[in-house]
Amino acid sequence: MRAFLLRRLVHAVFVVWGVVTVVFFLVRLTGDPAALLVDATATREEVARTRQMLGLDRPLYVQYVDFLTSAPLGDFGVSIRERRPAMRMVLEHFWPATAQLALAALVLAVVLPIPLGVIAATHRNGLVDHLSRLGSLFLQSMPSFWLGLMLILLFAVALGGLLPAFGWGTLRHLILPAVTLAAAPLAQNVRLIRSGMLEVLQHDYVRTARAKGLAERGVIYRHAFRNAAGPFLTVSGLSLGFMLSGTIVIETVFSWPGMGRLIVQAVPGRDFPVIQAAVFLFAMLFVAVNLVVDVLQGLLDPRARVFEDAG
Amino acid sequence: MRAPRDRVALLGLAVITASVLLAAVAPALAPADPVKNDLLARLTPPMWMDGGSAHHPLGTDTLGRDVVSRLLYGARVSLVVGFSAVILAGALGVVLGLVAGYYGGRIDDALMRLGDVQLAFPALVLAIAVLAVVGSGLGNVVLVLGVTGWVTYARIARGETLSLRHREFVEGARALGARDAAILWRHVLPNVLPSITVVATFSVARTIIAEASLSFLGLGIPPPAPSWGAMLDEGRNYLTTGWWLALFPGLAILAVVLGINVVGDWLRDTLDPRLERGL
Amino acid sequence: MTPLRRAILWVALALLATLPSGPGSAAPPTSVEGVPIDPDAELIVALTDDTTNMDPRLGMGSIRSNYIRQVFESLVDVDRQGKPVPGLALSWKPVNDLTWEFALRRGVTFHDGEPFNADTVLFNLDRMFRKNLDRWGIKDVAAGTAFDKVYPFVTRWEKVDDFTVRVHTSEPSASLWDILGREPLVPRAWTIKNGVEALNDKPVGTGPWKLVAWRRKDHMAFERNDAYWGAPPLTKRLRLQVIPEAAARIAALRAGQVHLVEAVPPLDAEVLGRNPAVKVVTSVQKLACRLYLNGRTKDTYDSGGKDGAFIDPRVRLALNLAVNREAIIAKIFYGLAVTNASPVATVAYGYAPQPPYPYDPARARALLAEAGSTAARPLTMQLLLPAKHYGQAFDETVGAVVEMLKAVGVQVTVQTLDFGTLLQTLTKGTLPANGAFAACRTSNNLDADDFVRDWASTTLVNWTPYPPELLTLYQSTRRQVDVKKRQASLAELQQKIREWAPVVSLYQEKKAYAHATRVLQFVPTQELNMDFRGVALKR
Repeated sequence: MRAFLLRRLVHAVFVVWGVVTVVFFLVRLTGDPAALLVDATATREEVARTRQMLGLDRPLYVQYVDFLTSAPLGDFGVSIRERRPAMRMVLEHFWPATAQLALAALVLAVVLPIPLGVIAATHRNGLVDHLSRLGSLFLQSMPSFWLGLMLILLFAVALGGLLPAFGWGTLRHLILPAVTLAAAPLAQNVRLIRSGMLEVLQHDYVRTARAKGLAERGVIYRHAFRNAAGPFLTVSGLSLGFMLSGTIVIETVFSWPGMGRLIVQAVPGRDFPVIQAAVFLFAMLFVAVNLVVDVLQGLLDPRARVFEDAG
Repeated sequence: MRAPRDRVALLGLAVITASVLLAAVAPALAPADPVKNDLLARLTPPMWMDGGSAHHPLGTDTLGRDVVSRLLYGARVSLVVGFSAVILAGALGVVLGLVAGYYGGRIDDALMRLGDVQLAFPALVLAIAVLAVVGSGLGNVVLVLGVTGWVTYARIARGETLSLRHREFVEGARALGARDAAILWRHVLPNVLPSITVVATFSVARTIIAEASLSFLGLGIPPPAPSWGAMLDEGRNYLTTGWWLALFPGLAILAVVLGINVVGDWLRDTLDPRLERGL
Repeated sequence: MTPLRRAILWVALALLATLPSGPGSAAPPTSVEGVPIDPDAELIVALTDDTTNMDPRLGMGSIRSNYIRQVFESLVDVDRQGKPVPGLALSWKPVNDLTWEFALRRGVTFHDGEPFNADTVLFNLDRMFRKNLDRWGIKDVAAGTAFDKVYPFVTRWEKVDDFTVRVHTSEPSASLWDILGREPLVPRAWTIKNGVEALNDKPVGTGPWKLVAWRRKDHMAFERNDAYWGAPPLTKRLRLQVIPEAAARIAALRAGQVHLVEAVPPLDAEVLGRNPAVKVVTSVQKLACRLYLNGRTKDTYDSGGKDGAFIDPRVRLALNLAVNREAIIAKIFYGLAVTNASPVATVAYGYAPQPPYPYDPARARALLAEAGSTAARPLTMQLLLPAKHYGQAFDETVGAVVEMLKAVGVQVTVQTLDFGTLLQTLTKGTLPANGAFAACRTSNNLDADDFVRDWASTTLVNWTPYPPELLTLYQSTRRQVDVKKRQASLAELQQKIREWAPVVSLYQEKKAYAHATRVLQFVPTQELNMDFRGVALKR
């Protein structure tokens, strides 16, 4: 176990380094932020001067080394647009706004499907089964911004301001954005759990457990679900990545002051330090969550060859 | 035993076929030029409403362009983007996965590490950044959506290859002197295809939706070319005043994507129930 | 003391206690024109975006001005009709051809108590022109407008006494009051002590509102400045709320979650206008949207040896004649835009109305043919469009205009890109020979000079530099101190520019605001910012 963890940690560091390096060079390919800072009536000299002030006229490898030596200490430079430390800005936007949103959506998308999927599987072709299948299909078939706008129209306008149309602050503000963000992963997870359970429920050991007279609930949750849960966990880990990506769209629709909004402006604004810091944070979170998922999988299903060198 | 499921899948297939056919014959079917604008006819409602006309059965958009024509031509764009991006991602991913699984060792390590790095990269950020560099256009959007999607296919292909690598028929073929490429093509690939097909089917649906999200962020197919995503995005500021602008492309996306998902479900049930665990 | 006298003393004291004891500590008014208002209310306004900086030196675009000008003020203020009025300066006049004198307002303090005086103005001028920064111990910033480069004729400034400042120039400058007078002023001692970064975090100004909280990308909260030199605002608090999505802004207004919404799209403005619970007000703005054309000669940009395709004024005039502006304004803007054939905004000081370009496609074709465009080798145009940067109406307009240009035989291809990439193309000079770009131009200043100087020097937007005679005319307007003569020169310049047609003018913006009927006395300005002095909320 120790060796496994160590290996995964090294791998994680490598992944984060890889992501950050790709982003470093990729954004510098997108061009020159200096032109965006000056008046439209500026001259080329002023633009060049601004570029020099930002330290962007140094050779690329110099900038890269500078970045690599300061980033591990937490110094990602100063935001080009807002002149404040980039990592501080990213953390400010991530916590609590995006964290709340992602967490709420994750809970909805991971916890809610469990009872839904299990009931759908155990009461096959019942009402819950049909409704959840239909609902899942629909939720996975529309773009998230579309769903969000529909919900705003319904809850904020048609129902007379039942829920707020924008903003951040209370639980009421969190409901619509979290539901919209969770919709597609939730739908997918319901189907996953359902199909996983359906398959597992046919197996011998389930019949054995039943024959042994174990309570149905024990059979379902202790035996069947544990075995069905594996792929669902993997997908949940991956879906965090999609969800963090999804905040980019959702936060714009719902005026949620989080990291998604920051990125949506930082990339066209060529705010290199902020983009680098934000992507770094994303990658760290993704890698950390997947590490946890791997460990959980190993614990849940000892048969999985997770601790061996499966690459 | 699964008859109702089959019927639903058939319906889904019918929807997909219909949209492909409609898209194919769009030039013959469309009542008007989808790109030429006509300010005087701007925002005409659908024909069954006040102010509508049979000239424009589903109304016109913000520049007076016919919605039906744009839906038909937009089907071409959305379907082409969906299928091409998935074919690109699939081909790339399968090749890389086969190579990684078959040769193992350092190549395998390197490719899987690359895949991990890509997965950890927020997809939309990558898309935004790349499109900012290369500019948005049909080809570039397909490229971006395709290149960012290879990892899942690679993993599946690699998994299958790993388990088949040491099977008897493969060993036997190698003993007989068959070349690696031939072995991969004749023996490994056919086993990989069922899973890949199922994943690819769902991916097409997701790609069509992703194209819409890119349009929302201003990175999708640039105007005046119609795509369902672009139409949705143009219509989103007119939800109460010009609801037909966003409703019909939204319904189109819903219908096609539903159809694809339903067919994907059926494929998965039929081709390899084992897959249910993995997807 | 007798009981009677004591009683009189107490009554006298009581009466004295109820007298207002000086400016700024009077209780705020509780009614406006007979209507009871809530002086402790919070006015909530929905804006399209947050600001990235509060330090005025870093840039004053239209969104940022809304935030910055609540806290900071400039020498010259603007009234609701767009006329310059005393702000932090009581008066300004030229004392001779090369010197302007500003008389400053007395009794003004910054939010932290620091007094405003001539030293403040000198400090700000140093910052604007990047002089003496070492002496003050403050850092240079990557500024939005580099005054030292754009106005190199301003040489030095000095204080005559604590409330009088003189600025010297190397050539006569007719609009120096405007050039210097619209820049918001920051406190001297505070900035030196806290550094320029602190200006962005906790700005301290002389304005009617004090910044109390700033949650980035979410909202900025202000409180009434009770020590304001003018009449303090009529509500205790102000909240500028960021809601990027237009549909969500309107939904918020209709649900009563905000009181006032800016940037209402034209069609929504029309629909909301019919809603009795909402009032829609409009105001012409200085934003002028245009197609800029590549008219540079081959040695002035990265041209691959070709002159710009639009170097011939006949071609540019033809393109202007091909655009049906009436249809655009009626159909896309529902009347919420104006045509303007003068390069100067209609509300700017020195504007001289010009006859609009007629919609004459036939004449356009004739002019194009005369200039050498034939059916076999037609004029082509690669149009760069920064989509989603100026709003959906702009994108729709450009789409319609492209069609109109095609109708007169120009082969237009549109390339959408993001605004940053466009600016980069312009900076590097890599616009193709037949290139054009769609962009809008606004101004922080009141005088026409800010508009007509676009084509006088090599800047990012100048792709059709003045020919020598127009350049001379322009320079004479800049130096002409006599007001009447200057107006006449400016009028002549605008007329010549109309004929010379450097750009294809599309429209000038008219902005729509919607607010609840509870909001009283809101009058939109022609400036880039909204002014909330005098706005009250009904009880």
